[in-house]
Amino acid sequence: MPELFPLSPVHYVAAPLLAAFLLPLVAKLSRSFIKILPGLTFLYVLYVSAVLYPQALQAPIIEQIAGWAPPLGINLYYGPMAGLFASLFSALGFIVWLYSLTQMKQEPLDRFYILLMMLVAGATGMVLTGDIFNLFVFMEITAISAYSLTAFLREDDKAEAGFKYILIGSLASAFVLLGIAILYSYTGTLNLADLALNMDKVPLSVRVIVFGLFLVGFGIEAEIFPLNGWAPDAYSAAPAPVSALFAGITVKAALYALARVTILLFPFAGSMALISILGLVTLVISELAALHQKNLFRMLAYSSMGQVGLAIAALGLFTAEGVYAALFAMINHAIVKGMLFLTVFAMAGGSATLDGLNGMGRKKPILSLLFTLGAFAIIGLPPFSGFWSKLSVLTAMGQTGNYAMIAIVLATTIVEAAYFLRATGRLYLSEGNPAEGKTPLSAIAALAVLAAGILWIGFFPGSIDETLTAGAQDLLDTAKYTEGVLKD
Amino acid sequence: MIYYIASIAVMLIGLYAVLVKKNLIKIVIGLSLMDAGTHLLLVAIGFIKGGTAPIFSEPGLTADAMVDPVPQALVLTAIVIGLAVTAVALALVIRIYAQHKTLDIRKISSLKW
Repeated sequence: MPELFPLSPVHYVAAPLLAAFLLPLVAKLSRSFIKILPGLTFLYVLYVSAVLYPQALQAPIIEQIAGWAPPLGINLYYGPMAGLFASLFSALGFIVWLYSLTQMKQEPLDRFYILLMMLVAGATGMVLTGDIFNLFVFMEITAISAYSLTAFLREDDKAEAGFKYILIGSLASAFVLLGIAILYSYTGTLNLADLALNMDKVPLSVRVIVFGLFLVGFGIEAEIFPLNGWAPDAYSAAPAPVSALFAGITVKAALYALARVTILLFPFAGSMALISILGLVTLVISELAALHQKNLFRMLAYSSMGQVGLAIAALGLFTAEGVYAALFAMINHAIVKGMLFLTVFAMAGGSATLDGLNGMGRKKPILSLLFTLGAFAIIGLPPFSGFWSKLSVLTAMGQTGNYAMIAIVLATTIVEAAYFLRATGRLYLSEGNPAEGKTPLSAIAALAVLAAGILWIGFFPGSIDETLTAGAQDLLDTAKYTEGVLKD
Repeated sequence: MIYYIASIAVMLIGLYAVLVKKNLIKIVIGLSLMDAGTHLLLVAIGFIKGGTAPIFSEPGLTADAMVDPVPQALVLTAIVIGLAVTAVALALVIRIYAQHKTLDIRKISSLKW
């Protein structure tokens, strides 16, 4: 019944939100529904992706909410870039749900799934929306779900990690809201496309201030140094499926917001160079910090920040190749790091240390193999997806003549290789305690999907080339964006 | 102008509390103050002295005699968000207190950065 019930980008946000609010009622009917409903929701959203994304590659879908045309009304912009991220988020949501089916045992499960769906809905809303205040609201939905999920487990230090996150997250939201207020006072509009056209009404000094506010606000959520103090605690405190989502979804949504807002509203060379430098600093410091970590989740968290740094460094080049490389790095990281978090949790539990990996190669051969695969992909060994993403980053840097950046990236790759190979070595070369328990099928299935993604991109990097090129063009072509949104 | 200065002042007081105070509850109050300052600023942006509600209720009433309704709508939304954040923060404070029996962040080692 396509006429009666047309698919629209709104469903990305509406379906998970509706399911989240229905879940407490459904839970009263039957406990088993709690586990099924999120999976069905994510499946439905994936179906929406399958139908709409090919259309978005042809021409962006611009959805007006409640029939109010922009700039007065709120619009959703479902272009190649937003579509790519929305589809990625839904897929990760589904995989994490599949994994949680058997691996997530801590009650209350209904609340866990409510927050999970709100997190995915909020992050998807952030990439879809064309209204800057709407962006703020979705960012807060994401953030509040993330705070609660960080402190979800009622164990020793979880509440503290959640409180740290909430403290710095609230600062971020206050900064973003202040920036929005200042922009509104000068331009009288909140629509991103309309703002982009009216930015010349804002004095240059004010523009710099607002850019700073947005950089700090979104940078906190995107784990850019020096604003990422919350991340290692939050990643190690949250249940592992949630850590995978933090790396794959919340950070990516904030990065997308930062990239979109910067390119649309602050396209001066200085802002881009600043972002690039921040990315490199983040990369170096995080990788060095990761080298010292004993706790595997903290190690992965620092590695995660490093990957974000790599993506931002490429993004700041502000060329088509640079944005292409940044997108590739983000997608690669979302898949690989998600898989690593889930694998480590399945292998060694919630407080996994390096020692916990000892001798796992013999006891849990499949999981060990998956961890090795993920580690190699993050380092960038061929023929895995990470190789191509890192190669595209380096190519983009080479084309703009930034050979110092290439040197830095290669140097950090050695550091990265050192700590990931050390962890992999523990799997196969050390003797460990006898293992207990078998890994359930649903967890293996979820991990296998991600592993298949890594191998697929690794062997057929051409298959996502079109998607990434379209996404990069979509992000850089601001004239097309503003015209598309404001055409009527 | 006075409104802008006042709202920035409220924000700075909140920021001061967040950065300097050692009591968890006071930190949460600081967060709320920062939010409140931003909200005041937003409302001040749309305010016109002697302006009325943006409804065409009387003949001869024009748009420039009305208070801008958009910031007010934004503030309503932002207040709700601020409430949710404060509620989550206080819930976490309760859990931290139950575990450590203190609200002093100097005595809770896991809260150090």
